[in-house]
Amino acid sequence: MKKFLVYVIVGVVTFTIGYNVNLIYFPDLSPKQPINFSHKIHAGDNSIPCQYCHIYADKSTVSGVPNVQRCIGCHKIIKQDAPEIQKLQGYWDRKETIPWVKVYNLPDFVYFSHKRHVKAGVPCQRCHGDVAKMDRITRQAVLFGIPYARVSPLKMGWCLDCHTNGAKEFIGMQVKNGRDCWTCHK
Amino acid sequence: MLNRRDFLKLVGVGGAGAAAGFALGELTKTPPAKLIPYLIPPEDVIPGIANWYASACMQCSAGCGILVRVMEGRAKKIEGNPLHPINKGGLCARGQAGLQLLYNPDRIKNPLKRNGKRGKGEFEEITWEEGLSILTNNLMELRSHGEADRLYLLTSLIRGHLNFLLADFMKAYGSPNYLQYDLFQYENLRFANKIIVGQYTIPHYDIANTNFLLSFGADFVTTWISPVNYNYGYGQMRQGEGRNVRGKLVQIEPRLSLTGANADEWVPVRPGTEGVLALGIAYIILEGGYYRGGDAKLWKDALKKYNPEAVASTTEVSEDRIKQLGKEFATTKPSLAIGGETVSSYENGVSNLVAINLLNHLSGNIGKTGGVIPNPDVIKKSFNPIATIAKDASRRKIKTLILHNANPVFTTPETLKLKDALKDIPFIASLSSLHDETTALADLILPSHTYFEDWGDDFAEPTVGYSVATIMQPAVSPLFNTKGAGDVFISLAKTLGGNLQKDITWEDFGVFLRDSWKKIYERHKGDIKEANFEDFWNDLLARGGWWDAVPKASKPVRVAASEVSAHLSSEPAKFEGNDKEYPFYLILYPHLSYKDGRGANLPWLQELPDPMTSVVWGTWIEMNSKAATGMGIKEGDMLLVESPFGKITAPVYFYPGQRPDTISIPLGQGHTSYGRYADGRGANPIELLPAKTDPKTGAIPLNSTRIKITRVNAPKSFVKMEGVAKELGRNIVQTITPEEFKKMGKEA
Amino acid sequence: MAGFIELMLERFKVYREPGYYKRFDYWWAMVIDLDRCTGCGACVTACQAENNTPVVGEEECGKGRNLSWIRIERYIEGEYPNVKVKFIPVLCPQCDRAPCEVACPVYATYHNQDGLNVQVYNRCVGTFTCATYCPYDVRRFNWFTYNKKNFLKGNGGSSTSFEPPLDQQLNPDVSVREMGVMEKCTFCIQRIRAAKDRAKDENRPIRDGEIQPACVQTCPTKALTFGDLNNPKSRIAQLAGLSTAGDLHYLRESGSKISDISSNPRTYRLLEDLNAAPTIFYLKRVMKNGSSTAGHE
Repeated sequence: MKKFLVYVIVGVVTFTIGYNVNLIYFPDLSPKQPINFSHKIHAGDNSIPCQYCHIYADKSTVSGVPNVQRCIGCHKIIKQDAPEIQKLQGYWDRKETIPWVKVYNLPDFVYFSHKRHVKAGVPCQRCHGDVAKMDRITRQAVLFGIPYARVSPLKMGWCLDCHTNGAKEFIGMQVKNGRDCWTCHK
Repeated sequence: MLNRRDFLKLVGVGGAGAAAGFALGELTKTPPAKLIPYLIPPEDVIPGIANWYASACMQCSAGCGILVRVMEGRAKKIEGNPLHPINKGGLCARGQAGLQLLYNPDRIKNPLKRNGKRGKGEFEEITWEEGLSILTNNLMELRSHGEADRLYLLTSLIRGHLNFLLADFMKAYGSPNYLQYDLFQYENLRFANKIIVGQYTIPHYDIANTNFLLSFGADFVTTWISPVNYNYGYGQMRQGEGRNVRGKLVQIEPRLSLTGANADEWVPVRPGTEGVLALGIAYIILEGGYYRGGDAKLWKDALKKYNPEAVASTTEVSEDRIKQLGKEFATTKPSLAIGGETVSSYENGVSNLVAINLLNHLSGNIGKTGGVIPNPDVIKKSFNPIATIAKDASRRKIKTLILHNANPVFTTPETLKLKDALKDIPFIASLSSLHDETTALADLILPSHTYFEDWGDDFAEPTVGYSVATIMQPAVSPLFNTKGAGDVFISLAKTLGGNLQKDITWEDFGVFLRDSWKKIYERHKGDIKEANFEDFWNDLLARGGWWDAVPKASKPVRVAASEVSAHLSSEPAKFEGNDKEYPFYLILYPHLSYKDGRGANLPWLQELPDPMTSVVWGTWIEMNSKAATGMGIKEGDMLLVESPFGKITAPVYFYPGQRPDTISIPLGQGHTSYGRYADGRGANPIELLPAKTDPKTGAIPLNSTRIKITRVNAPKSFVKMEGVAKELGRNIVQTITPEEFKKMGKEA
Repeated sequence: MAGFIELMLERFKVYREPGYYKRFDYWWAMVIDLDRCTGCGACVTACQAENNTPVVGEEECGKGRNLSWIRIERYIEGEYPNVKVKFIPVLCPQCDRAPCEVACPVYATYHNQDGLNVQVYNRCVGTFTCATYCPYDVRRFNWFTYNKKNFLKGNGGSSTSFEPPLDQQLNPDVSVREMGVMEKCTFCIQRIRAAKDRAKDENRPIRDGEIQPACVQTCPTKALTFGDLNNPKSRIAQLAGLSTAGDLHYLRESGSKISDISSNPRTYRLLEDLNAAPTIFYLKRVMKNGSSTAGHE
């Protein structure tokens, strides 16, 4: 009986650990999108600049997912017959928007402005990785051949890396008052 | 000890558990957030950046201009429109809380048809087509029976083009019975102004520039007429830039209101004798020779019985005080006398207000900066008192009643029997955003847009000496399956045909509004100067309104002593009930948060502590603790308040700013069918009133009865936010005396 | 290891040492003219609308758990008919030598470079120490996650503080706080942030009067003014009589009384003797002495 209790306890504890390990350490870093959109083709092969589609990046806090009209604008002409474009056309014909899955998600208590970062000259790749090489957008990075690391961890310490002194390396100046909590917390 | 076998077993169990947990985690992972783009982006929307839409506030009839902050299609905040001449960027608590009307969980989401007994609140959801066809059929039937004039339309105060549209509709349909109702219509004040200023309007009281403001029960910082404008004026009067003298405020009222609390002096006059006191002051002005007109002799004769001695004994204000007030009022320039809701709400309200207005005439304040500035005439509907509706309904004259945002059942005394009368009407349709006590009696409810979702405009009345028109545009798209009232009437006109189709040809209310504004544009007046209508319209929407900031030269007013004195009464106002049985005067006042009760469904307003008592979420009775001695009443006790006409129960608050012979109760609570936040909260003191309306203006006299109180045992009391009402020497609110202030000279 | 911890503690300490910032970049402050204030409560509702402050309901109010960041205090002195009523809006005065900053065991509150008293919700563990130390009683504690608490139990109907669709009104620029967190007035940091953002885009300093916290914006009598104390020409410096006072940063260290510095005899600070150096300057109400609004009687 006593032994059984030990088994139960061990089982429950490990179950909880396993459950949480999954949630914390194995989030879906490259979720499947409703359309197999490839940044590699757009940003990589065809070298379309980021802000051609993400039009609000230098204007607003959000960079903006391209609206469906913008996609259709080009794809009226280009590659009409490809199956993924057909899907896009389907959404457009049904006058539906595309339920993209969010990859980079910040908690509600954080104030983050794309505009400030873009205007300061932070390259998009600094946080979003080399998107031009990704077929499906992912936060999974490969470190020493192991696909475990993150493109960007989106943790406070990582933000502070730049906000305290790291930013000097690539924008040539220190972030002003980067240490102030109210810079980002709202 | 653990042997090898057990250890392996444990490892196995652990591994299996972990794997199972991992697997479960995989299965139950919260789906990642979605990122939904626009299909076609609206031109002016950048996600993450707010848009501001100019509109008009509809929380009371002041007509303030507002800006609504909208982010991604949702209204987030209301602010006063800084360009607007009425409120100059400010906004009161009720205006701020407007968003909770838009997003109220008790909004009516679909058209409803009565299903069950009338007044039981049982409704079934129907479609708009069905709802409109029910109403259309009813109206067609009525017309075909030649009973078009038995259609009544009752709305709240609407002053913009919607008013014109509804008037056109009713005219074309063939019914003269288009009525507007609000508990506070200030009809008495207009009537009194007709006599003294010569206009049936409310003038602009230039509080900002006056040096001596004599207020007879005008609680202008909370609810009276145009509180934000008067508040701005008050601020300027006290500490305005470029002002050399700090204006003085004297408040004359039996209950110290919030305005009284800010006054330099409070004169706790006997209830109902304010008019007599005003005449006593007028007497002093004439006696002292301050009146400059040639007809001083006539006035003196007309007012000779109001000598200080007589007035002092009636009003319980000392002779010296009357003399001093009269002298100060006449010698301080400019000075201004205003008569507010307390005074207007006696049964002799009109004569009180005439007497108070007379002071302005006698000391030459009319048409002067810092005095009474006449307003441009407004197109005003002829007035129909609410009592006529009750009468017409009970005589079965009304066959069909259409309601729009009016809630007379809540704001009229039960003794008027309005509710019973309405029950006799064969068909009632209500165009309302929310359930209320009157809508509860409807057979058909067609939910209407709130003012954030609809086109519209508003001609503020009173304005600030020149015409002000405020435009309303849809700041957010409709939240529920609602329609604007204008659109409903236009579509009714289309299906009803006949004259209606000929007169009302617009496709919807937005088009009608734009077309109507072309006429204003074509006058080429006002602050918006544009070469074509298109630009004018865009400017209008961007600025939030149109105004013609050229003050009109005021006409000299001829006031004849003989004519005025016919409207004066030397008698104090009568109160129902004899003073033996009912020892207290009852003063009802519109509450800062709820006004006549319309704000009670907004939780922000419910939780805003009352400025004087700090009570939240309820009704209370204000009483002087001196009056309670010997009655065994403690603060917070529940009291049964009885008048000869009704009774309510509410907890008592000991308020030193109250005459011991008077009891005050705020209006606004005691709803029975006004949504979750308002229902069953507090008591509605209107139930204590007699079935009286002013014969000249139809106003309901709120202060017209005496009451008695008895302590009852009840566990419930009020919740108040105050701790200690005393400073206890902590010197928290520091003051300097007016003398010291004068010595200071101007501030840096 | 011990050395490292010591170093960390040392660093934490300097951040909340009063006067750590010798000069503030901006020095946000407010002037409240009590002679204009009528106590109408517009600021209270405006604040609630702007800052996602939940409604807590009657029962919770009765326990003093009202969450308003700004309140109108009302004092009644005297008895009928010589009654004197005074109002004062009280909100967090962002004290220069804030007792709350010294109090917090987890460093959830500190002074920042703009002279603001910062409250970091994520760091706060709800020890209530800051509220206990605060002489102005302006810190408010979330006893519950009010947007999940059904506060109208007795009245029927589900009614959490942001009962849908009321939640659509929530300001996206401000966090919605949860249970166990202390909160307080931020001088509308989201508006300050937006103004800084705008100013940076246009490569200029923030203009005087450009930032209006919700309470200041809505005030019908214009009793409240907000601005930068570093700028002697600003409206608040003029109103408070500090435009000719010289370098206020120096005076800050000397701890002198505002009446010694200000050229306006009406300027005072609330409970100044407590030496917390609040940065809200009240202008005294002009009022007759003694216990009389009733004049001669």
